[in-house]
Amino acid sequence: MDKKNMRFLVAGVLIAMAIAIVAVFLASSDPDGLDSTALIASGQKTLTAPATGEDISVGAPGHFVYESPMQDYTLGKDWGPAGGIIAMVTGTFLAVAAGFGLAWVLRKRKAAKEQVS
Amino acid sequence: MHIPDAFMPIWQGAIYWVIALVFVLLALRWAKNELTEEKIPVVAVLAAAVFALMSFNLPVSMGTSGHLLGGALVAIVLGSPFAAVFILTLVLIIQGVMFGDGGITTMGANIINMGVIGGFVGYYSFHGLLRLTKNISFSAGPAAWLACFIPAEVCAVELYLAGTFPLKEGLIAMGVYHALIGIIEAVITVLVIHLILRVRPDLIDEKVKRRVGIGG
Repeated sequence: MDKKNMRFLVAGVLIAMAIAIVAVFLASSDPDGLDSTALIASGQKTLTAPATGEDISVGAPGHFVYESPMQDYTLGKDWGPAGGIIAMVTGTFLAVAAGFGLAWVLRKRKAAKEQVS
Repeated sequence: MHIPDAFMPIWQGAIYWVIALVFVLLALRWAKNELTEEKIPVVAVLAAAVFALMSFNLPVSMGTSGHLLGGALVAIVLGSPFAAVFILTLVLIIQGVMFGDGGITTMGANIINMGVIGGFVGYYSFHGLLRLTKNISFSAGPAAWLACFIPAEVCAVELYLAGTFPLKEGLIAMGVYHALIGIIEAVITVLVIHLILRVRPDLIDEKVKRRVGIGG
Protein backbone atom coordinates (compact mmCIF):
# COMPACT_ATOMS: atom_id res chain seq x y z
CA MET A 1 0.00 0.00 0.00
CA ASP A 2 1.37 3.43 -0.88
CA LYS A 3 1.78 6.31 1.55
CA LYS A 4 -1.35 8.14 0.42
CA ASN A 5 -3.57 5.12 1.04
CA MET A 6 -1.90 4.43 4.38
CA ARG A 7 -2.64 8.02 5.45
CA PHE A 8 -6.29 7.67 4.40
CA LEU A 9 -6.57 4.40 6.32
CA VAL A 10 -5.02 5.77 9.53
CA ALA A 11 -6.97 9.05 9.41
CA GLY A 12 -10.24 7.28 8.63
CA VAL A 13 -9.83 4.76 11.43
CA LEU A 14 -8.90 7.50 13.93
CA ILE A 15 -12.03 9.48 13.01
CA ALA A 16 -14.18 6.34 13.39
CA MET A 17 -12.56 5.61 16.79
CA ALA A 18 -13.25 9.19 17.91
CA ILE A 19 -16.93 8.90 16.85
CA ALA A 20 -17.18 5.54 18.64
CA ILE A 21 -15.79 6.95 21.89
CA VAL A 22 -17.90 10.13 21.78
CA ALA A 23 -20.97 7.93 21.19
CA VAL A 24 -20.45 6.31 24.61
CA PHE A 25 -21.20 9.68 26.22
CA LEU A 26 -23.49 11.45 23.76
CA ALA A 27 -25.61 8.79 22.06
CA SER A 28 -29.32 8.97 22.85
CA SER A 29 -30.61 6.28 25.19
CA ASP A 30 -34.14 6.51 23.77
CA PRO A 31 -35.29 3.24 22.17
CA ASP A 32 -34.58 3.05 18.42
CA GLY A 33 -37.31 2.88 15.78
CA LEU A 34 -37.68 -0.89 16.01
CA ASP A 35 -37.78 -1.01 19.82
CA SER A 36 -40.20 1.93 19.89
CA THR A 37 -42.50 0.01 17.58
CA ALA A 38 -42.16 -3.08 19.80
CA LEU A 39 -43.07 -0.92 22.81
CA ILE A 40 -46.18 0.28 20.95
CA ALA A 41 -47.06 -3.35 20.19
CA SER A 42 -46.53 -4.09 23.92
CA GLY A 43 -48.93 -1.30 24.90
CA GLN A 44 -46.24 0.78 26.62
CA LYS A 45 -45.91 3.57 24.11
CA THR A 46 -48.07 5.58 21.76
CA LEU A 47 -46.81 6.69 18.38
CA THR A 48 -45.91 10.23 19.40
CA ALA A 49 -45.34 10.10 23.18
CA PRO A 50 -42.27 8.64 24.94
CA ALA A 51 -42.60 5.12 26.37
CA THR A 52 -44.04 4.68 29.85
CA GLY A 53 -42.21 1.39 30.49
CA GLU A 54 -39.34 -0.62 29.11
CA ASP A 55 -40.74 -4.13 29.02
CA ILE A 56 -41.14 -5.39 25.49
CA SER A 57 -43.70 -8.16 25.86
CA VAL A 58 -43.95 -9.14 22.20
CA GLY A 59 -41.82 -11.92 20.81
CA ALA A 60 -41.80 -15.32 19.21
CA PRO A 61 -42.30 -18.37 21.43
CA GLY A 62 -39.34 -20.75 21.59
CA HIS A 63 -36.94 -18.25 20.06
CA PHE A 64 -33.17 -18.62 20.10
CA VAL A 65 -31.27 -17.25 23.13
CA TYR A 66 -27.70 -15.99 22.93
CA GLU A 67 -25.63 -14.08 25.48
CA SER A 68 -22.97 -11.90 23.87
CA PRO A 69 -19.69 -11.12 25.68
CA MET A 70 -20.22 -7.33 25.65
CA GLN A 71 -24.00 -7.01 25.73
CA ASP A 72 -25.28 -3.58 24.62
CA TYR A 73 -21.75 -2.24 24.03
CA THR A 74 -20.87 -2.31 27.74
CA LEU A 75 -18.89 -4.50 30.12
CA GLY A 76 -21.60 -4.31 32.75
CA LYS A 77 -22.47 -1.73 35.41
CA ASP A 78 -19.22 -2.13 37.40
CA TRP A 79 -17.15 -0.79 34.53
CA GLY A 80 -19.22 2.34 33.82
CA PRO A 81 -18.21 4.48 30.84
CA ALA A 82 -14.74 2.86 30.72
CA GLY A 83 -16.46 -0.41 29.79
CA GLY A 84 -18.36 1.39 27.05
CA ILE A 85 -15.15 2.84 25.63
CA ILE A 86 -13.40 -0.55 25.72
CA ALA A 87 -16.39 -2.16 23.97
CA MET A 88 -16.61 0.50 21.26
CA VAL A 89 -12.86 0.60 20.60
CA THR A 90 -12.82 -3.21 20.40
CA GLY A 91 -15.77 -3.19 17.99
CA THR A 92 -14.28 -0.50 15.76
CA PHE A 93 -10.95 -2.35 15.69
CA LEU A 94 -12.71 -5.62 14.80
CA ALA A 95 -14.57 -3.84 11.97
CA VAL A 96 -11.32 -2.46 10.53
CA ALA A 97 -9.53 -5.79 10.89
CA ALA A 98 -12.41 -7.77 9.34
CA GLY A 99 -12.87 -5.26 6.50
CA PHE A 100 -9.15 -5.02 5.72
CA GLY A 101 -8.43 -8.72 6.20
CA LEU A 102 -11.26 -10.09 4.09
CA ALA A 103 -10.76 -7.45 1.37
CA TRP A 104 -7.04 -8.31 1.27
CA VAL A 105 -7.68 -12.06 0.97
CA LEU A 106 -10.32 -11.64 -1.75
CA ARG A 107 -8.79 -8.69 -3.61
CA LYS A 108 -8.74 -8.68 -7.38
CA ARG A 109 -5.32 -9.75 -8.48
CA LYS A 110 -3.80 -8.37 -11.62
CA ALA A 111 -3.97 -10.84 -14.50
CA ALA A 112 -0.66 -12.47 -15.43
CA LYS A 113 -0.46 -10.78 -18.82
CA GLU A 114 -0.95 -7.35 -17.31
CA GLN A 115 1.97 -7.93 -14.99
CA VAL A 116 4.25 -8.79 -17.92
CA SER A 117 3.53 -5.63 -19.86
CA MET B 1 -33.42 -1.70 13.03
CA HIS B 2 -31.50 -4.74 14.32
CA ILE B 3 -34.05 -7.53 14.87
CA PRO B 4 -33.21 -9.43 18.08
CA ASP B 5 -33.55 -13.22 18.35
CA ALA B 6 -36.62 -12.83 20.56
CA PHE B 7 -38.68 -11.23 17.78
CA MET B 8 -38.69 -14.12 15.31
CA PRO B 9 -39.28 -17.90 15.31
CA ILE B 10 -36.09 -19.83 14.53
CA TRP B 11 -37.50 -21.41 11.35
CA GLN B 12 -38.36 -18.04 9.84
CA GLY B 13 -34.90 -16.73 10.71
CA ALA B 14 -33.45 -19.75 8.90
CA ILE B 15 -35.34 -18.88 5.70
CA TYR B 16 -33.95 -15.32 5.73
CA TRP B 17 -30.48 -16.72 6.44
CA VAL B 18 -30.63 -18.89 3.29
CA ILE B 19 -31.67 -15.90 1.14
CA ALA B 20 -29.03 -13.70 2.79
CA LEU B 21 -26.29 -16.27 2.15
CA VAL B 22 -26.97 -16.13 -1.59
CA PHE B 23 -26.30 -12.38 -1.52
CA VAL B 24 -23.29 -12.80 0.76
CA LEU B 25 -21.77 -15.26 -1.74
CA LEU B 26 -22.46 -12.79 -4.57
CA ALA B 27 -20.81 -10.08 -2.46
CA LEU B 28 -17.72 -12.26 -1.99
CA ARG B 29 -17.65 -12.78 -5.76
CA TRP B 30 -17.92 -9.00 -6.24
CA ALA B 31 -14.88 -8.57 -3.99
CA LYS B 32 -12.89 -11.14 -5.97
CA ASN B 33 -13.77 -9.55 -9.33
CA GLU B 34 -13.96 -5.84 -8.55
CA LEU B 35 -12.11 -5.04 -5.34
CA THR B 36 -8.71 -3.75 -6.37
CA GLU B 37 -5.87 -3.25 -3.92
CA GLU B 38 -6.33 0.54 -3.94
CA LYS B 39 -9.88 0.13 -2.61
CA ILE B 40 -8.91 -1.95 0.44
CA PRO B 41 -8.33 1.07 2.75
CA VAL B 42 -11.75 2.44 1.73
CA VAL B 43 -13.40 -0.88 2.66
CA ALA B 44 -11.62 -0.93 6.04
CA VAL B 45 -12.43 2.71 6.84
CA LEU B 46 -16.09 2.37 5.77
CA ALA B 47 -16.46 -0.78 7.91
CA ALA B 48 -15.10 1.12 10.93
CA ALA B 49 -17.18 4.23 10.20
CA VAL B 50 -20.41 2.25 9.70
CA PHE B 51 -19.79 0.38 12.97
CA ALA B 52 -19.08 3.58 14.92
CA LEU B 53 -21.95 5.59 13.41
CA MET B 54 -24.42 2.73 13.90
CA SER B 55 -23.87 2.95 17.66
CA PHE B 56 -24.37 6.73 17.70
CA ASN B 57 -28.10 7.01 18.31
CA LEU B 58 -29.51 10.49 17.75
CA PRO B 59 -32.92 11.54 19.12
CA VAL B 60 -35.65 11.92 16.49
CA SER B 61 -38.43 13.12 18.89
CA MET B 62 -41.43 11.05 20.06
CA GLY B 63 -39.21 9.29 22.61
CA THR B 64 -37.33 7.55 19.85
CA SER B 65 -33.79 7.57 18.48
CA GLY B 66 -32.07 6.29 15.39
CA HIS B 67 -28.73 5.94 13.71
CA LEU B 68 -27.08 5.56 10.33
CA LEU B 69 -27.46 2.20 8.59
CA GLY B 70 -24.87 2.94 5.93
CA GLY B 71 -26.06 0.76 3.03
CA ALA B 72 -26.51 3.64 0.60
CA LEU B 73 -23.24 5.31 1.63
CA VAL B 74 -21.14 2.18 1.08
CA ALA B 75 -22.84 1.25 -2.22
CA ILE B 76 -22.41 4.78 -3.63
CA VAL B 77 -18.76 5.24 -2.60
CA LEU B 78 -17.60 1.78 -3.71
CA GLY B 79 -19.85 1.69 -6.78
CA SER B 80 -21.82 -1.51 -6.15
CA PRO B 81 -24.76 -2.65 -4.02
CA PHE B 82 -22.72 -5.77 -3.28
CA ALA B 83 -20.16 -3.59 -1.51
CA ALA B 84 -22.94 -2.71 0.93
CA VAL B 85 -23.78 -6.39 1.42
CA PHE B 86 -20.07 -7.12 1.98
CA ILE B 87 -19.45 -4.41 4.60
CA LEU B 88 -22.86 -4.51 6.33
CA THR B 89 -22.57 -8.29 6.75
CA LEU B 90 -19.18 -7.92 8.48
CA VAL B 91 -20.49 -5.16 10.74
CA LEU B 92 -23.73 -7.02 11.57
CA ILE B 93 -21.76 -10.19 12.48
CA ILE B 94 -19.56 -8.18 14.87
CA GLN B 95 -22.58 -6.36 16.36
CA GLY B 96 -24.62 -9.54 16.81
CA VAL B 97 -21.89 -11.88 18.07
CA MET B 98 -19.90 -9.46 20.25
CA PHE B 99 -22.51 -6.97 21.44
CA GLY B 100 -25.90 -8.66 21.19
CA ASP B 101 -27.09 -5.88 18.84
CA GLY B 102 -29.30 -7.88 16.49
CA GLY B 103 -29.81 -11.60 16.96
CA ILE B 104 -27.98 -14.65 15.62
CA THR B 105 -30.98 -16.44 14.11
CA THR B 106 -32.29 -13.08 12.84
CA MET B 107 -28.95 -11.99 11.38
CA GLY B 108 -30.01 -13.20 7.93
CA ALA B 109 -33.05 -10.93 8.03
CA ASN B 110 -30.90 -8.03 9.24
CA ILE B 111 -28.38 -8.63 6.42
CA ILE B 112 -31.26 -8.65 3.91
CA ASN B 113 -32.87 -5.47 5.31
CA MET B 114 -29.87 -3.25 5.91
CA GLY B 115 -27.27 -4.74 3.55
CA VAL B 116 -29.18 -6.08 0.56
CA ILE B 117 -32.27 -3.83 0.44
CA GLY B 118 -30.40 -0.81 1.84
CA GLY B 119 -27.56 -1.32 -0.64
CA PHE B 120 -29.69 -1.94 -3.73
CA VAL B 121 -32.25 0.78 -3.01
CA GLY B 122 -29.48 3.24 -2.15
CA TYR B 123 -27.35 2.44 -5.19
CA TYR B 124 -30.03 2.39 -7.88
CA SER B 125 -32.06 5.34 -6.61
CA PHE B 126 -28.81 7.34 -6.34
CA HIS B 127 -27.83 6.63 -9.94
CA GLY B 128 -31.37 7.23 -11.20
CA LEU B 129 -31.48 10.61 -9.48
CA LEU B 130 -27.92 11.48 -10.48
CA ARG B 131 -28.81 11.01 -14.15
CA LEU B 132 -31.63 13.54 -13.72
CA THR B 133 -30.10 16.08 -11.35
CA LYS B 134 -26.35 15.80 -12.04
CA ASN B 135 -25.98 16.78 -8.38
CA ILE B 136 -24.41 14.42 -5.86
CA SER B 137 -26.11 15.87 -2.74
CA PHE B 138 -29.61 15.97 -4.28
CA SER B 139 -29.17 12.37 -5.39
CA ALA B 140 -27.39 10.81 -2.41
CA GLY B 141 -29.67 12.46 0.19
CA PRO B 142 -33.01 11.10 -1.10
CA ALA B 143 -31.37 7.76 -2.01
CA ALA B 144 -30.08 7.37 1.54
CA TRP B 145 -33.49 8.32 2.94
CA LEU B 146 -35.14 5.61 0.82
CA ALA B 147 -32.43 3.12 1.84
CA CYS B 148 -33.53 3.66 5.45
CA PHE B 149 -37.30 3.93 4.95
CA ILE B 150 -37.88 0.94 2.64
CA PRO B 151 -35.90 -1.59 4.76
CA ALA B 152 -37.87 -0.36 7.81
CA GLU B 153 -41.19 -1.13 6.12
CA VAL B 154 -39.91 -4.51 4.93
CA CYS B 155 -38.80 -5.16 8.52
CA ALA B 156 -42.33 -4.31 9.73
CA VAL B 157 -43.77 -6.91 7.32
CA GLU B 158 -41.21 -9.54 8.41
CA LEU B 159 -42.15 -8.97 12.05
CA TYR B 160 -45.83 -9.15 11.18
CA LEU B 161 -45.14 -12.55 9.57
CA ALA B 162 -43.18 -13.49 12.70
CA GLY B 163 -46.28 -12.74 14.77
CA THR B 164 -44.47 -9.99 16.67
CA PHE B 165 -45.98 -6.75 15.27
CA PRO B 166 -49.55 -6.04 14.18
CA LEU B 167 -49.41 -5.19 10.46
CA LYS B 168 -51.01 -1.73 10.33
CA GLU B 169 -49.54 -0.33 13.55
CA GLY B 170 -46.16 -1.84 12.68
CA LEU B 171 -46.08 -0.27 9.22
CA ILE B 172 -47.20 3.11 10.56
CA ALA B 173 -44.77 3.23 13.50
CA MET B 174 -41.77 1.84 11.61
CA GLY B 175 -42.61 4.19 8.72
CA VAL B 176 -42.98 7.34 10.84
CA TYR B 177 -39.85 6.72 12.93
CA HIS B 178 -37.67 5.76 9.98
CA ALA B 179 -38.95 8.65 7.88
CA LEU B 180 -37.25 10.79 10.56
CA ILE B 181 -34.24 8.48 11.04
CA GLY B 182 -33.87 8.62 7.24
CA ILE B 183 -33.01 12.32 7.55
CA ILE B 184 -30.01 11.33 9.71
CA GLU B 185 -29.13 8.74 7.06
CA ALA B 186 -29.37 11.36 4.30
CA VAL B 187 -27.33 14.05 6.07
CA ILE B 188 -24.49 11.73 7.15
CA THR B 189 -24.36 10.00 3.75
CA VAL B 190 -24.05 13.33 1.90
CA LEU B 191 -21.47 14.65 4.40
CA VAL B 192 -19.23 11.57 4.20
CA ILE B 193 -19.35 11.47 0.38
CA HIS B 194 -18.32 15.14 0.22
CA LEU B 195 -15.60 14.56 2.81
CA ILE B 196 -14.09 11.76 0.74
CA LEU B 197 -14.51 13.82 -2.47
CA ARG B 198 -12.55 16.61 -0.83
CA VAL B 199 -9.63 14.62 0.59
CA ARG B 200 -9.38 11.71 -1.85
CA PRO B 201 -11.65 12.15 -4.90
CA ASP B 202 -9.83 9.26 -6.59
CA LEU B 203 -11.40 6.86 -4.07
CA ILE B 204 -14.99 7.64 -5.14
CA ASP B 205 -16.59 5.35 -7.74
CA GLU B 206 -15.59 6.48 -11.28
CA LYS B 207 -19.19 6.23 -12.57
CA VAL B 208 -20.27 8.96 -10.13
CA LYS B 209 -17.53 11.32 -11.22
CA ARG B 210 -18.24 10.72 -14.92
CA ARG B 211 -21.93 11.54 -14.42
CA VAL B 212 -21.25 14.86 -12.72
CA GLY B 213 -18.21 15.66 -14.84
CA ILE B 214 -15.44 15.79 -12.24
CA GLY B 215 -11.97 14.64 -13.21
CA GLY B 216 -10.78 11.06 -13.36
